[in-house]
Amino acid sequence: MRRAATPKLAGYAGLGALGLLAALAVRLPELVALAAPFMLVAGVGLFRARRPEIGVEVAVERERLLEGEETEVRVTLEAAVGAERVEVLLELPQELSVVDGANPRTLHLADGEQRELSFQVVCRRWGGFRVGRVHLRTHDALGLLRHEAVVDRRRPLKVYPHEEELWNVLRPADTQVFAGHHVSRQKAEGIEFADLRRFVPGDRIRRVNWRASARRGELWVNEHHAERNADVVVFLDSFAEARLGGRGTLDLALRAAATLTERFLRQKDRVGFLTFGGMLNWLLPSTGMRQLYRIVDAMLDTEIILTYAWRDIAVVPRRTLPPQALVLALTPLIDDRAADALLDLRGRGFDLVVVEISPLPFLPQPRDELHELGLRLWRLRREAIRGRFERAAVPVAVWDDGSSLAAALEEVSSYRRHARLARA
Amino acid sequence: MVLYSVLGNDRLVEVVAGVGAAGLLLCVVALAGRWPAVIPFGLAGVGASYALFLSLRERVVDSHAPLVAAALFAAAELAFWSIEPRVGGDRAVVARRVVYVCLGALGAGLLGGILLLLTAGVSGGVVLEAVGVVSAVVALAIVTRLAARARTA
Repeated sequence: MRRAATPKLAGYAGLGALGLLAALAVRLPELVALAAPFMLVAGVGLFRARRPEIGVEVAVERERLLEGEETEVRVTLEAAVGAERVEVLLELPQELSVVDGANPRTLHLADGEQRELSFQVVCRRWGGFRVGRVHLRTHDALGLLRHEAVVDRRRPLKVYPHEEELWNVLRPADTQVFAGHHVSRQKAEGIEFADLRRFVPGDRIRRVNWRASARRGELWVNEHHAERNADVVVFLDSFAEARLGGRGTLDLALRAAATLTERFLRQKDRVGFLTFGGMLNWLLPSTGMRQLYRIVDAMLDTEIILTYAWRDIAVVPRRTLPPQALVLALTPLIDDRAADALLDLRGRGFDLVVVEISPLPFLPQPRDELHELGLRLWRLRREAIRGRFERAAVPVAVWDDGSSLAAALEEVSSYRRHARLARA
Repeated sequence: MVLYSVLGNDRLVEVVAGVGAAGLLLCVVALAGRWPAVIPFGLAGVGASYALFLSLRERVVDSHAPLVAAALFAAAELAFWSIEPRVGGDRAVVARRVVYVCLGALGAGLLGGILLLLTAGVSGGVVLEAVGVVSAVVALAIVTRLAARARTA
């Protein structure tokens, strides 16, 4: 531990010396009585000074939790050589804060004593954190010397974005070959009735539609749609975000991404993840709970990195975007590069859906006419981007913190139903 | 303490009050600005007003000096404590500290009383004065040496 003298030590020594010398100079014994305690305290304090030896252990109750949840961080102090006052500060990232009790805290530690401090920590924002750097500062009984040390016992703490209420997810336009929950357009073994056709040798007897056969005088069999899975790629635009008061579009986008990933994986779809922006991050599509944790962990590393470099879809590894995959883009539509990349994907035949994370709630109020004019121009520009998507038959649903994600996705589903009707 | 010095004397009251007020002002500035290095100067000012009070009165030992010493020590302890950063924690720690301050003040008073009793019966002289000077210098040297060692450790 690093030792340092407090201003009190110099002050007491100075007062004591001044008093003693003044007593001698003016021949007043009363001044000796005044000065002697200060000198005595300084001398005794320094003579009795010793270096504390304190061991620190940190334990985190839960290493994975959701935004807004609390966890307990326990700091155990074991003093081989104690101290009169020990100040303990648990260093926390900005997104975490102590809700119950003070931080830092003071306690007394006698020689050989062990104490446990409990910090109830609330996680206000998603992210991957490491908690457990402890700052120690000890004071002797007379407050003349202090010892300081930083002990690093960090433990990982992952805070996941909390999920949105969502009953149904989007139905992909195309399905893959593996079994799943989506009714495929292809006819094969399945449950959903598709059509009737004449019996051909090899058809199973149980597929014969006896009522249709009786009416037509020959054997007819039922055909079914197969239940298949789909490939879904969650595309996260991380070029830019709008942020106000500790909340921003990236938080909403990650919340939506986590919700959609969990729902699609639950219905046996293969889900991939792509962060497209200043930082490029991807995960190949796969299924299962392991993939869910992989994706959510990858999300925690997402951050907005400002870049002026031009990025197009060519930088994305080819296997990240399997053919006939549903690409679900979560974007605030702030940066043209993301819009261009998405339209490029649409041009390559991907089934694209854009969920626009509205940046409007995160904008400051315009201060004057000039700002108002700028805001109107910016909105017009956003309308123009939306128009480009509409011309490419890409549904764009707007979602913000005040509305439900389910409503936004229903808007997309409705658009896709009408688009099919129009095509028909 | 300043009041005691001012009210207990009828000569050069303005000077005693002025020196004491200057000391108090320094103390207030130190407390308001949370500058611990300024506190000793304020205390020295208050002590100086008491020294002035003593030098202006008749040559008899002030019987209240132990109480003044205890008050000055307690004021110094509380002043340094009050400008420390606020850290929440055990009430036991605060209680122990209050006890230390009280014991310190009591000890200061006792020490002052003992010193005055010891000096009361001793008449001055060159030898004793030299012993006093040497003692003060040695005490200061010891404290300085210990402080330097503590800083380098």
